[in-house]
Amino acid sequence: MTQPIWGPVQQEMSDLLRRHPDDVPGVVEQLAGLQDVLCRVPPLLHGNPLADFNKLYLTITENVLERLYAGRFKDPAFLSRLDVEFAARYFDALRYWTEASPSCPGVWAGLFCRVPGPDQRPLPSAVAGVNAHINFDLPFALVTTFDHLGTDPIDGSDQHEDYLQVNDIFAEEIPGLRRGYLDRWQLLIDTMNGDLDDWWQGEMVEYTRNVAWRNAQKIWSIRHDQLALDKQRRRLDSTATGLGKLLLSPFADFLQ
Amino acid sequence: MASQGDEGPLVGRTGTLADIQSYLRNVGPGGTAAVFVTGESGVGKSRLLRETADALRGTDFAVLSGTCLDIGDASPLHPVLQALRRHDGGHTDNSGPADAGALLDRVSHALRTIAGNRQLLLVLDDLQWADRSTRQLLLYLLAGLGDVRVSVLAAIRAEALHGTHPLRRVLAELRRLRSVRVVDLAPLTQDQTRDLVTGIVGGTVAVEDADRVFKRSGGNPFVVEELARDLRDGRVELSDTLREIFLSRVDELPPNAHQVVHAMAAGVEPVEHAVLARVVPLGEDQLIEAIRAAVAHRFVASDSDGYRLRHRLVAEVLEQEVLPAQSAALHRRFAESLEAVEGDPDHARLAFHWQRAGVPERALPAVLAAARAAERLYGFAEAHRYWTIALQLTGDDCEDRADVLGNAAESAHQCGEHLLALSRVEELAARTDGPGRSDVHLRRARYLAAAGRTATAETEYLRALDAPDCTPRQRASAAAYLAELLVHLGRYAEAHQHARDAMELAAINGSTPDLVRASAALGFSAVFREDPAAGLSVVRQAVEIAERSGHPDDLGVAYMHLAELLTGPLNSIEEGVLVARRGADRPVGRHYRTRLLAIAAKGLFRVGQWAEASAVLDTAMSYRPSGADAVELLLSRCQLWVGFGEVDNARRDLDAVATLLAGGGARHVLPMLTLRAGLAMWQGEHAEARAAVQRGLTETRSDDLVLIGVLTWHGLRAEAEAHVAGARVDPGALRRLKTATERLVTAMGEAGPAVQAAVTGYVDLCTAEISRIEDRHDPDPWARAATVWDRRQQPYPAAYSRLRQAEASLHRKVRRAAAVTGLRQAYATATAMGARPFASEIRGVAQRFRVALADDEPTVPMAAPALVTDELAVLTVREREVLAAVAEGLTNREIGEKLFISERTVGVHLGHIFDKLQVRTRVQASRVYLTAA
Repeated sequence: MTQPIWGPVQQEMSDLLRRHPDDVPGVVEQLAGLQDVLCRVPPLLHGNPLADFNKLYLTITENVLERLYAGRFKDPAFLSRLDVEFAARYFDALRYWTEASPSCPGVWAGLFCRVPGPDQRPLPSAVAGVNAHINFDLPFALVTTFDHLGTDPIDGSDQHEDYLQVNDIFAEEIPGLRRGYLDRWQLLIDTMNGDLDDWWQGEMVEYTRNVAWRNAQKIWSIRHDQLALDKQRRRLDSTATGLGKLLLSPFADFLQ
Repeated sequence: MASQGDEGPLVGRTGTLADIQSYLRNVGPGGTAAVFVTGESGVGKSRLLRETADALRGTDFAVLSGTCLDIGDASPLHPVLQALRRHDGGHTDNSGPADAGALLDRVSHALRTIAGNRQLLLVLDDLQWADRSTRQLLLYLLAGLGDVRVSVLAAIRAEALHGTHPLRRVLAELRRLRSVRVVDLAPLTQDQTRDLVTGIVGGTVAVEDADRVFKRSGGNPFVVEELARDLRDGRVELSDTLREIFLSRVDELPPNAHQVVHAMAAGVEPVEHAVLARVVPLGEDQLIEAIRAAVAHRFVASDSDGYRLRHRLVAEVLEQEVLPAQSAALHRRFAESLEAVEGDPDHARLAFHWQRAGVPERALPAVLAAARAAERLYGFAEAHRYWTIALQLTGDDCEDRADVLGNAAESAHQCGEHLLALSRVEELAARTDGPGRSDVHLRRARYLAAAGRTATAETEYLRALDAPDCTPRQRASAAAYLAELLVHLGRYAEAHQHARDAMELAAINGSTPDLVRASAALGFSAVFREDPAAGLSVVRQAVEIAERSGHPDDLGVAYMHLAELLTGPLNSIEEGVLVARRGADRPVGRHYRTRLLAIAAKGLFRVGQWAEASAVLDTAMSYRPSGADAVELLLSRCQLWVGFGEVDNARRDLDAVATLLAGGGARHVLPMLTLRAGLAMWQGEHAEARAAVQRGLTETRSDDLVLIGVLTWHGLRAEAEAHVAGARVDPGALRRLKTATERLVTAMGEAGPAVQAAVTGYVDLCTAEISRIEDRHDPDPWARAATVWDRRQQPYPAAYSRLRQAEASLHRKVRRAAAVTGLRQAYATATAMGARPFASEIRGVAQRFRVALADDEPTVPMAAPALVTDELAVLTVREREVLAAVAEGLTNREIGEKLFISERTVGVHLGHIFDKLQVRTRVQASRVYLTAA
């Protein structure tokens, strides 16, 4: 028989993924559970590149949940559904990978296959995860959410404003992540010109999140056309996979 | 002919098969169950469906099977209507049901007839291709609305669930229900593959051979079977991909069979023999021989409906092999054959083939016919798709273009595709042969308003009014719509002005709907501008106008506005209930009838006439509502069940609501979560109650003040209950609930008086619950809440506040006499309403503080029976009869019928009774009567 993909925590992983959280507190709980399990995947344990992405994602989702409770979004029903729908795609990808199913999107597979090592470069990995999640999953999650709520993706709508607010959360959290890992590099950058990489990181997420919104609008218009939809899906997967490869390649060493 | 007879053995699915059967038999209290099988193509979903159907057929199940089509534009309800046709061979009557609900009802009736007293098993393959109507029907049936005891077994391709497929959300919502299972079918393991290979080859198989099959097939049973056959037949396969495996098979076919298989790949299954005979240019004998060969080579399967390819994977491989010109020719022959075959053509299939034949001018009539046919079946989503195709088929210079655009815009609007509707209007506006400017502005405004872009919508209405070609009729319509919009925006002064204009215009030139719309806007704006008398009289007048027109929609809308005005901002609930029930008796159509009854039931619930509310809901449900109407009614009924303490019924209705909401409907989520929390609270399931409320807090919009009020109160009450029961109070949850309460107070300060009046009672309850959690035992906040709810004439929250007030007083040992009276009052209210869990909660408090409730101990005589009898003694014999009937929960009309007096006279008697007993509501009167009786 072939090796279980997650080694000794395979069973825990598939038990955890059997859950399908349907609200934001549930998503936070699931991500926290994953964090615990991912940090026990040998041989890298805490240095596991996926654990870094998951950590970032958990922090961001906790932040979103706090803002939801604090009533800081205009259309919380929209944002909650989006958050759940968005996370479901990450959980799905993990589930497919766990089952060794060919259905796992390429962009995620590119990151997951690095879990056993030996490569260990946390920041590019976390960024690669963000890339997969935002460039590939987000547009579809947006469309599904709008479809379910019976509203349109309109620029300047309440939903759009809420969506943009999540950019702020990313901007808040990503420098923190970087500081956690990149003291050495940061020192270099800081002596040069201060916040260059903050800018780079923040811009990238904001930029891609806007692309995701545009892509969602594009998909929205063709969502009843299964063929066109599949084509678009493949296109997004291959674009994002390409970008992910680049991020995980030696090219992205400059990040480290 | 051989069809599925020569399948390989079923390997590795025994456990799954048994599980599925047991799930399907294990129906919930609503009498429904569902199993959704997902998995990749070729993993054996259809096989599992067939095996299950065969096993259950002949037991106590009636089995119906249908398959969804992948032509993207199937006609509404295709798989279910197909299943019905297969069953009785006859034609289901599709001609013009009165509304979408009537269609669902008709289909349910057909299913009920087939099922008889058995459970119905509805097997649906390829559900990923199901049209929107089919999905809605499925949810309708699973929610138990069709009154069919149905178990659904459906297969869904896992590949389709990626991306944005609507079934994703449906499954995500459904999988939480106890009666629904999602079975993910995995590929075979290495050992299972070995078993399957051995089973097909027979005898012994070298382990290396079997493992090679596993490696090449990835455990996909369909591919495993094919490879194992090659192994058995000694064929050496060098190819690894599915495509190559099948192409080499195709090459082995005799030429005629080759032709048949290629034709099949272009067809829409099942392909009838008569059609195939026209598509494939062969003599009858040759054709049959060719088909036999195709069947023998395991490409084609045959059953009573016609032929189909053995697996869609084969069709997908073949489609890529056919040259475009060849494919176009095949589709043309299919289209011509379908037209030549006797009977009413299937427009959807015809449109499909003509489009792919590359003959748009032949496709267009079929597409238009299909669009109109779908509209007749209320398949608006399908109609929308056809209008979209029709747009693609008509060029800019086509004479039908403007007409098609207009229809396409309207159908997009009907499906909630507001952006698309708007872009189509833009194109329409740019055309010289389009409608006039005023018409364009009016359309644009309606679509914008529906999309929630109120500011631009307002501008467009104003432009429509200013347009030089605006007819008086259009002007009336635009002003009425604008006034309605302004009421929603809370700009009552302007709404008032436009509504006035609209009224004047509509009175001379307008249509009744415009007149009714304008009256409602005028009435509501007057009431909100604190001129209730004027507002009420305008809306009453609208009812008279509608009565004169007699059109069901006008009547329904007018009665609804009046009932909403009375039960809402005016808080004259009893009268509002009366109006709603009277409206429901008028010929208003199913939709408005159920909505009116829903208003009546809600009102009755609030004034504490729960038995009566329950009867009204039963009547409303007997009209078989669907969609949002059904959700409203189920939520109201569930609220009653929770109040009555009927847990199973409450759970059933909550599950039904969740099932329907899986198809969409965000605004009902909050009430559902509130009820879930309430039910869990009574069951002592603190964690569950908390989870429901916390989820609700993350999904509230700041403008649903009343809903937030109810939810927050439920949350705090549940935390207080947990605290009292000695369970842990979640500090985070409590903090968030307090924040929600504070936000409510702030928002209330900014809202209008009507909203304030409705919300303030909940804020009082929240504040009081917080004092309970903090162990303050303070009767004062509860006393305040009781006063507010008395003023709102809502006995349940008033009695609840009184209970807590008494409890706190008794705990502090202050004003015991007043506390005992309060407790008894609360108890009388609770018992009169039939609120059993609440009554027993009161009994618990009474026992704890050794207070004798009125009928707690039946052997002990009432405290002052003589006095109470005296109270009733002031009534005449007739008035007592009326009062007795009121206490039974009868309506005025029912009382009238029972006592052979007019409804009006009953009203007069009631007035006297209220005066003499010095009460203001039926509940208070009933309470006096029941305490005396």
